[in-house]
Amino acid sequence: MELKDKLEILADAAKYDASCASSGAPKRDSVDKDGLGATTGMGICHSYTPDGRCVSLLKILLTNFCVYDCQYCVNRRSSNVPRARFTVDEVVKLTQDFYLRNYIDGLFLSSGIIQSSDYTMEQLVEVARRLREDHKFRGYIHLKTIPDADPRLIELAGKYADRLSVNIELPTQDSVTRLAPEKSVHTIKLAMGSIRTKLDEKDDHPKAPVFAPAGQSTQMIVGADASDDQTILNTAQTLYGSYKLKRVYYSAFSPIPQSPSSVPSAPPPLLREHRLYQADFLMRGYGFNAGEILPQSGNLALDIDPKLGWALANREHFPLDLNRADESMIARVPGIGLRSAKRLIDLRRLRRIRWEDLSRLRCSLKKLAPFVVVADYKPAQGMASSELLRRHLADAPEQMNLFPELQAA
Amino acid sequence: MNDDRPADRSAHSFPPAHAPAADPAPADPAQPAAARAGAAGAPAFLAVRLVLARQPLLVASFAEWREAARALLAYEIAPERVTWGSPHGGGDLFTSTPQTDLAQDAAMPAQAGAAPEGGADTAADAVAAGAPDVASLPPLPARTPRPTPHLPRSFMEMLQSAACCRVPDRWAFLYRVIWRWQLGQHDVQSPADEDGARLQAMVKAVRREEHDMHAYIRFRERPEEAGAPRFVAWYEPQHDVLPQVAKHFVNRMGKVSWMIATPDASVLWDGRTLHNAGPLVKGEEELEDGGEALWLTYYRSIFNPARLNTTVMQQHIQSHRWKNLPEGKIVPHMVSEAAMGARKIGQFQAVGQRRGTTIPIAPEAAQPDRQQPSKLDECRRCTLWEFATQAVPGIGPQQAQIMFVGEQPGDQEDLSGQPFIGPAGQLLDRVCANAGVDRETIYVTNAVKHFKWEPRGKRRLHKTPAQQEIEACHYWLDKELAQVNPTVIVALGATALKSVLRTANVTLRNSLGKPMRVGGRWVVTTYHPSYVLRVPSEEAKREAFNIMVDSLKLAHQLLERPLEEPDQQDRLI
Repeated sequence: MELKDKLEILADAAKYDASCASSGAPKRDSVDKDGLGATTGMGICHSYTPDGRCVSLLKILLTNFCVYDCQYCVNRRSSNVPRARFTVDEVVKLTQDFYLRNYIDGLFLSSGIIQSSDYTMEQLVEVARRLREDHKFRGYIHLKTIPDADPRLIELAGKYADRLSVNIELPTQDSVTRLAPEKSVHTIKLAMGSIRTKLDEKDDHPKAPVFAPAGQSTQMIVGADASDDQTILNTAQTLYGSYKLKRVYYSAFSPIPQSPSSVPSAPPPLLREHRLYQADFLMRGYGFNAGEILPQSGNLALDIDPKLGWALANREHFPLDLNRADESMIARVPGIGLRSAKRLIDLRRLRRIRWEDLSRLRCSLKKLAPFVVVADYKPAQGMASSELLRRHLADAPEQMNLFPELQAA
Repeated sequence: MNDDRPADRSAHSFPPAHAPAADPAPADPAQPAAARAGAAGAPAFLAVRLVLARQPLLVASFAEWREAARALLAYEIAPERVTWGSPHGGGDLFTSTPQTDLAQDAAMPAQAGAAPEGGADTAADAVAAGAPDVASLPPLPARTPRPTPHLPRSFMEMLQSAACCRVPDRWAFLYRVIWRWQLGQHDVQSPADEDGARLQAMVKAVRREEHDMHAYIRFRERPEEAGAPRFVAWYEPQHDVLPQVAKHFVNRMGKVSWMIATPDASVLWDGRTLHNAGPLVKGEEELEDGGEALWLTYYRSIFNPARLNTTVMQQHIQSHRWKNLPEGKIVPHMVSEAAMGARKIGQFQAVGQRRGTTIPIAPEAAQPDRQQPSKLDECRRCTLWEFATQAVPGIGPQQAQIMFVGEQPGDQEDLSGQPFIGPAGQLLDRVCANAGVDRETIYVTNAVKHFKWEPRGKRRLHKTPAQQEIEACHYWLDKELAQVNPTVIVALGATALKSVLRTANVTLRNSLGKPMRVGGRWVVTTYHPSYVLRVPSEEAKREAFNIMVDSLKLAHQLLERPLEEPDQQDRLI
């Protein structure tokens, strides 16, 4: 099979993985050195595909042969997809070629399970080893970790890779048992735990050998099982707390060819995925608790963002005097982001904040108006009810579309 | 050099300007030292004299502007009195000058690398703009120049960055900004200020351009026999960011040679040094190498048509960028294909049309080799399992006569699957050593086998188990007690005590150091090692530690004592 054909199949097989970040690696460069590659710590998106996702890494599978039968996965053993397998050298060469042409920042390598967990992991590690040791490649490497693999292989993976990830895929044990019969939440958690232990060791002993400096991440598929957003966010919170994950990625389930009847035939709304990312960011960046964002079981509202939802449900904190409140509370006002909150605090050292400042800082004035007090503005007396506000602030309802397929173009 | 206009001799009489320390970038012919006005004149302060004579100030780089601005500030010349211009034209309406012919100047990269004497033609520019003979300029005001204001580094970097923004009045604007700063109006750098907002917007535009160039430059490979550079790229930057961007690619490409060509200037990297040159390539067409097929294949295949969302795509890449990206040409087709039905299935058509194959392997054979989970691992008697990594069983000799019962595993125990390995475990080791008891002879376990915690930021904060969780887990403690059959149980802390006595109505204080006979065993109560670690005062810490040691000694003595003996005198405290 030609390289191009393999690339076609094995990139197609990898596109269901949401993660494509290349940030968080320590700064490296290749000035006056043999080999290739640099990392700036920031990560660069080199292109965007029409699904709005960035291309930052060469994201491929080493092979899409797989002995597992995960129902949501296009590469499951019972799936009728064309199969292909890269040689280690092909991946190494492809990575370097794409890197030299400035298409990518590095490699994100995953694989179907072939033979055994250990064998699969060995192959992944070998690609990374050859890039790093034989070719002195200093770009970003993200390796997918096979949960049941020998911890020594995971340790070796962490030596070469910037980031490791173990995908939990589904938010509950029951769903995993049902839809991914060969997987086990228990071993997934153990693998994440062993990665965290190594990361902790590195934190405690700076001279310890390098281990996955960009940390670990995971992915959850949304809409392949019946779990609601509350379950998903709680699982994410558990994972963040327990395993110091850098990111949890949410991937709306994509319908797959000859889909088994155990998974839905229609995808969830992409907006649901987006709301989950927003909620996730509230947990990571703003210090929100999953229980604050979604106190009851169910899904996040689609018509308003989760921060606005929280503010409407917690009116007792508002209106907030921006000239007195602390930064973390200002950041909780709908329409004011983390950066604006910081800038307001900086500005407050010079003078009192006025309405015009909020406009100059490009805060969302419509959203924040009912929630703030500044030197020359306070919301009208007899504040509107949350219901009324919600109707006012929600995204405009869309006309039902008879031909959505056509309209998307 | 090959300048054919009459050069201004007087300009040459000034010592050549060197890039000041703040601007370590190599001499850049794209920014010839045009007016040299400020830099040249120390202490002549030509810039000030030009302004006094109502002459325009020509500057072509941040370094030059900085020198000129310093001098102007020193003589308190207000922004309204200064006319700034740029030798590339596009400056002040009245000072626009003929375009410098940089192309001729640096046609040969080798020469360009040797830092051309850019001064010659720029001095000529100054003449063209009407720069007068120095002798004819008015003298400087007699008063002592004011000391230059000290600008914070971050502000300076902001100014430097904004100076790369191609707006016609950039030098005048930047001067107004620092003028206001030295007047004490420090909010001039805040985005809430009108000038500040503009300054930040300029910085942002420059950063964005740098970022875009890092991201969207596409190198094409040249055949090996063609020699250096092996990789060439064409790009049309909207701001003056080529020098910064070149550094990025120096870091990235190692010893591989490359060139980036833009309409105004080029940079070349020979694997060791960076060379600056004028425009060497007319446009992208000259660089085709036909080696982009693999990239386009990848780009097509990694797109998931089921997720088509062009709005987000357009938010990320501005439309004018697409024309220079090879994949830009196939995007419209991909979008329409996806919209016309491919989005029903996320698979790329070219893959879907191939013959596929299922993997003939029996479900049993696919199961990975993994240890069968223990019964404890599968425990669902309460909900704690859901949030914990694993259940942590007790550890120690099966014939142990003493059993420590703690509360629950902690963060580290949860990850490792072993009880008391963290700081509390180490304290327990010391207690054993002080009491003269071999820790290896003791069986150590917890009343609750799963870690109970609540999130605090990105950390797990220990949370005391509820009575019903203690009761649910008693099942496992009973099993351990039956198996090990210790003579003495040392309950570490209140939770352990509640579990061992199977009642919530018991306090640590009332039973501390007082052996009890429960179900044919002695039970000794003491502190949990975490308490000793946590208690703030050193004295209390020592006291608690000693109580633990005494309790353990007592436990050891109890091994020899028949259970029938009265226990009144055993109270320690």
